[in-house]
Amino acid sequence: MRRLGLRARVTAAFAIGALLLSASMALVSYELTRRTLLDERERTVLRAAYYDAAVVRAGLDTENPDAGEALRTLDTGTGRRAVLHLNGDWYGRAADNGLTAAIPARLRELVSAGEPAVQRIRVDDQPVLLVGVPLSESASFYEIASLRELEQTFQVLALALTAVAIMVAGSGAALGWYATRHGLRPLTAVADAAERIAAGDFTTRLAPDTDPDLTRLSTSFNRMVDELAQRIDRDRRFAADVSHELRSPLQTLAAAASVLSRRRDNQDERTATAARLVADEIDRFQQLVNDLLDLARSDQSVHRQPVDLAELARQVCRDRDLPETMVRLAEDTPATWRVDRRRVAQVLTNLLDNAERYGAGPVAVLLSRTGDTGVIEVDDDGPGVPVEDREAIFDRFVRGRAANYRGGGDGTGLGLALVAQHAAAHGGSASVSDRPEGGARFRITLPGSLS
Amino acid sequence: MIPGMTAVLVIEDDDRIRLALLLALEDEGYEAYGAATAEEGLRAQRRSPADYVLVDLMLPGIDGFECIRQLRRDDDVPIVVVSARDDTHDIVAALEAGADDYVVKPVAIKELTARLRALRRRARTVAPVEEPVPVLVFGELEVSPEAGEVRRAGTPVAVTRTEFRLLCELAEHAGRVLSRQQLLSRVWGYDSGDERLVDVHVGRLRQKIEADPANPKHLVTLRGLGYKLQR
Repeated sequence: MRRLGLRARVTAAFAIGALLLSASMALVSYELTRRTLLDERERTVLRAAYYDAAVVRAGLDTENPDAGEALRTLDTGTGRRAVLHLNGDWYGRAADNGLTAAIPARLRELVSAGEPAVQRIRVDDQPVLLVGVPLSESASFYEIASLRELEQTFQVLALALTAVAIMVAGSGAALGWYATRHGLRPLTAVADAAERIAAGDFTTRLAPDTDPDLTRLSTSFNRMVDELAQRIDRDRRFAADVSHELRSPLQTLAAAASVLSRRRDNQDERTATAARLVADEIDRFQQLVNDLLDLARSDQSVHRQPVDLAELARQVCRDRDLPETMVRLAEDTPATWRVDRRRVAQVLTNLLDNAERYGAGPVAVLLSRTGDTGVIEVDDDGPGVPVEDREAIFDRFVRGRAANYRGGGDGTGLGLALVAQHAAAHGGSASVSDRPEGGARFRITLPGSLS
Repeated sequence: MIPGMTAVLVIEDDDRIRLALLLALEDEGYEAYGAATAEEGLRAQRRSPADYVLVDLMLPGIDGFECIRQLRRDDDVPIVVVSARDDTHDIVAALEAGADDYVVKPVAIKELTARLRALRRRARTVAPVEEPVPVLVFGELEVSPEAGEVRRAGTPVAVTRTEFRLLCELAEHAGRVLSRQQLLSRVWGYDSGDERLVDVHVGRLRQKIEADPANPKHLVTLRGLGYKLQR
């Protein structure tokens, strides 16, 4: 499972904390209120019961006591009902309704023994308070008071408190969300800055004095960018210096070699061979310098522009004296792609070079698409690439095994590394597989070039 | 100068490079002579103008960029930069200073001479002809391809040969978009090449023919497609 984000976690913690707090507050206040109200009610009922008991006792304390008459004189209203247990018989003002059966035996024993008692019981699923008062050895008075209204009050109270608890928890969550948004705002600024830097804008810095708590973050971030920018600048200057220092003498060599090769006819065989070796190696050296520089620069950002890729591929073929009919554009694929022209031209050049050098010559260049990803495939008719070499050939200074037995070695060993780097710069990849008809198939993907 | 031979001036401070280039160019049939500094090169060009000038950018004293500007002030001789620097800024700055082309060292002599020939072809087409001259009119801008003249509001505008070729190419296809690659091949004679050449020359041309070069009315850019000259 994916871990929750910081913001979600803080929000949840705020919500749970608020819920716990408000729920316990609600519970405590509910209990306190309930107990107070119940006590109050119990006292009232008790007072009334004792008073009624006194009235009944007075009514019975005659020569010819009439239990019914004694009860009838009571003013119990609707909330209370009174029953009398006299000499083993029950007397009530109205029908019994199973009231007497509901009086627990334990309470009756207590009252018969002369102890007044109070108990909360349920009668007909209604909460009631039962008060027993002993009148004499043979008579006990019971009064039953309904607690229904009180119960309803408790229900309303519980509902209100629950609602409040939920609202407090919700407010806690909202507060957490709001607080983290504020708390994370500096991080958003850092992320934005990092993105701009990744996109190649090394002038981006964080404002150093936004928040005293974040000064350390912004100063160390800015120092990091400073050093990164310096290092990149140093690397770039180094590449430029190296290129200058290597290219200048190469210019002398190239011009001098052309003078030598013009005079080939006047040279003896050994001199001519030596001159040819010099000229060839100068070419290779030149290519090596160019490839190295390209490789050093290939981490720079891609300059995408609309490029007629079919035309570019045909042109690269023409430049290398290859038939441009080998370039095929898949039916569903437009000719114009959004790519870095220079890089893709080099990808095509190097792949065709590679096919000529190690793959017995290229046989097809296929341009197709997968969604918005442009796909370049270059097929050759050579021996193919062994499975175990298929990753290594995109490394620097690795040449195909074919180069060994052909005694070639005129490549720089950087061509395919550059192909892979240019593909990666576009967010894509380079791979090689078997061509179904034999030979190798190099496949380059360029995501986002057909959006 | 030897009559009938094409003269090339090589301004290059590195003695060995200069010597090797002169040897190779002479082998290719040019009359080549060198200068070790910009000052020396500018003096030589004033004394006896060469048909082409090759300039290095890193020169002691006056640097290559200033050297190109001063050469350009005097005439429209084709200038090719031969530099070991291939930084975009350098290339654009050199072209903006007035260079017609830019090659990065080490350049093969065959390629260098091919580029010189392409510039030569362009130079020839500008030669005036004794015939009725069709003038292409774009608002207050007038281009006469065969007379080699450009006028804005009746006043002649001084353009280099390369700028003129570029303008004629666009004028002859008035109202139609030409891609940078098409212009490269038609004006510079390259099958493939650096599109910045086109962009910088278009920019220079705008400075000369547009009333407001920042908001061109006639020589307009069509993003991703190329350039178009319109009325």
